[in-house]
Amino acid sequence: MSASTDEVAERGRTHEAPPPRRRQFTKRTSLTILAYLTPAFIFVIIFTYYPLVVGGQMAFRKWSLYDLTSTPFIGLENFTTLIANPLFSKVMLNSLVWVVASLVVQFLIGFMLALGLRKKFRFRGVYQAMIFYPWAVSGFLIGILFRWMFNSEFGVFNDMLMRTGVSAKPIPWLANPDLALVAVIVANVWYGVAFFAIMILAALQSVPHELHEAAAIDGAGRWRTLTRVTIPTIRTTLVLTVLLRVIWIFNFPDIIYGMTGGGPGNQTQIATTWMIQFTQQGDYGLASALGFIVMGVLVVFTGVYLTLLTRERKP
Amino acid sequence: MRKKLLTTVAAVSALALSLTGCSGSGGGGDDKSDGGDVTITMVESLTNPARTELLKGMLSEFETENPGIKVQLISPPTEQADQKIQQMLQSGSGVDVLEVRDLTVGPFSNNTWLYDMSGDLKSWEGLDKLTDQAKTVAVGEDGKSYYVPYGFYGLSLFYRTDMVKEAGFDGAPKSWDDLITQAAKIQDPTKNKYGYAFRGGKNSAGQVLSILQAYNADNLDVTNAYKVTSGKTIFSTPESQTAIDRYIDLFKTGSPESSVSWGYSEMVQAFTNGSTAFLLQDPEVIAVVNDSTLTADQWGVAPNPVGPTGKAAWPMATAGWGVAEASKHKPEAVKLVQWLSGDISTKFAKENSLVPILKSAGEDEFFKTGPWAAYVEMTSQPETWISVTEPRDVAWWTEWMQKSETDLQQVLLGKMSTADMLKSWDTFWTEKWNG
Repeated sequence: MSASTDEVAERGRTHEAPPPRRRQFTKRTSLTILAYLTPAFIFVIIFTYYPLVVGGQMAFRKWSLYDLTSTPFIGLENFTTLIANPLFSKVMLNSLVWVVASLVVQFLIGFMLALGLRKKFRFRGVYQAMIFYPWAVSGFLIGILFRWMFNSEFGVFNDMLMRTGVSAKPIPWLANPDLALVAVIVANVWYGVAFFAIMILAALQSVPHELHEAAAIDGAGRWRTLTRVTIPTIRTTLVLTVLLRVIWIFNFPDIIYGMTGGGPGNQTQIATTWMIQFTQQGDYGLASALGFIVMGVLVVFTGVYLTLLTRERKP
Repeated sequence: MRKKLLTTVAAVSALALSLTGCSGSGGGGDDKSDGGDVTITMVESLTNPARTELLKGMLSEFETENPGIKVQLISPPTEQADQKIQQMLQSGSGVDVLEVRDLTVGPFSNNTWLYDMSGDLKSWEGLDKLTDQAKTVAVGEDGKSYYVPYGFYGLSLFYRTDMVKEAGFDGAPKSWDDLITQAAKIQDPTKNKYGYAFRGGKNSAGQVLSILQAYNADNLDVTNAYKVTSGKTIFSTPESQTAIDRYIDLFKTGSPESSVSWGYSEMVQAFTNGSTAFLLQDPEVIAVVNDSTLTADQWGVAPNPVGPTGKAAWPMATAGWGVAEASKHKPEAVKLVQWLSGDISTKFAKENSLVPILKSAGEDEFFKTGPWAAYVEMTSQPETWISVTEPRDVAWWTEWMQKSETDLQQVLLGKMSTADMLKSWDTFWTEKWNG
């Protein structure tokens, strides 16, 4: 998939596209096209936009599950309540650390794994399956598994650290305010590495062998080939996978919810786990307002990220 | 011709899809099935596979005794069950009998989703067979009956008889002071041995309130155990300050450091795997411990620890069966609720480790012996273990549980003082009550 994206992008850069020819549809053809499109439109309206509008308007109402007989319009009060909450800035900071730390480590490990898996070797398929496996597991389940693995008294991590003499006493991973965020990020890295490995491997396999041969003839070493040939060729895939992962990690409360529930003392609380707390309280107004804020942050990020990268690419 | 055919197919699919999207109401167990039988739908909330099997068996007994009524049981996964039930109630169809919890009765009844069974229960002979506690829940203070409880959950002290003996004590701790002393003596982290399975994680307020109520037992408002008789919150008294400081002592001297984040599963696991000696938990843990590697002579259940005046409160959580306001088969649904709340409820309580709702269960050998003896002791001495009600049906209960969990963790991590925590809790409840 990424290969074709690259090729299309490449063609777009090197060839002048012919001017588009305006095609006239007959009324009958237009109706046919419309009839084909209608199911998709209806589907998207019912299952995407209707819930979005219904959910979205809750952000401007007092919408408590406890009393649905009165849901008055309260303007921006839910937003101001959220922003005035002392926890707001901490949650946003935690979200930033959660996204950046998870993303950087996932990307680096995923990239290295993809490079390692690019060349054929015995049992490559088995290795690939083992690396991709975490991607198939539910995030909440991963959270619960890691919660037990990081358990201070009966967890496998502490057991290994103590048996190997690295630590003399059990480390309270999830009870220590400084270590809890590290623990949830480790779990997220384990989960997310697979995505980068899959996507980057697919992109790497589409890099023409001739390019590497040409680089070798020109005397380029491994590092130079990687940075000057391989990475520029798969750039589009890298840009898109990073963008997708930022959005997904930001919107991914499963692991934290399963491992710490946002604790101890809100040390691992991120925007989406906080949103879950509001829904559990039955306050869908606040939850929806927070959803809007999250969406706003991501829209701004996507805009800035793509603008910067596009500007960088222009000659 | 081919084009015309394709256009027609596309148009028909569009129409079908839009109709599918518009439908969705109706359905559920509100129809008469073949042969004129009435089929009612029942939804459970605190689902687990063993309990679902038990319920299915009970329902087939009901169907045999009541020809003409069929019951379809829906068992959503526990985590999503209350939300599923809420959606079903909101849509106004698909449910006749449902599991109502003390936590959900408030929102469900406020939104007029529950049928008031008070008229039906007046003539029901089973009402007088209920214990006083069960009757108080079945018929609320306002005279309304939104659900009949099937059992109660109340805290009691699980303890390791062997570890207590090894540490040189005669028996289980009777008071909170005893518990703190014994836990500290037993604690030896180098041997992976700990005194008390402290709850610092999810839903930690239950255990905190247990010690606060024991220390305030003489002045407690029994109708609302979050208040004292002066009308102020329980968090405002000097006794509570002493109690919470003792509770933090218990954490520091007798509990694992990591228990700051322990929830239900970690606590129970720590007790059943033999690393902690004490656990304050609900009776459903009896079944879990019975299935563990601990042998019967290694553990026991003692009554709730008492406070300095020799008394303790015994708040109970509960759940039961109610009828949906939108049900089209209310007489049959009420009949099922009454049947489930009859003699069969003792079987349900036994197999689910619940405090039973029938007076007659007190005579049952099962509840008089072994781990259940502590519960009989507590019910038979109401002046020592005072039966109290907690405001679990308030709209802000979940918010409170989340706040109390976070604040307690801040205290345990040394980022907040106990005095500030109590003050913050006092303000929280006072403001909520004042609206």
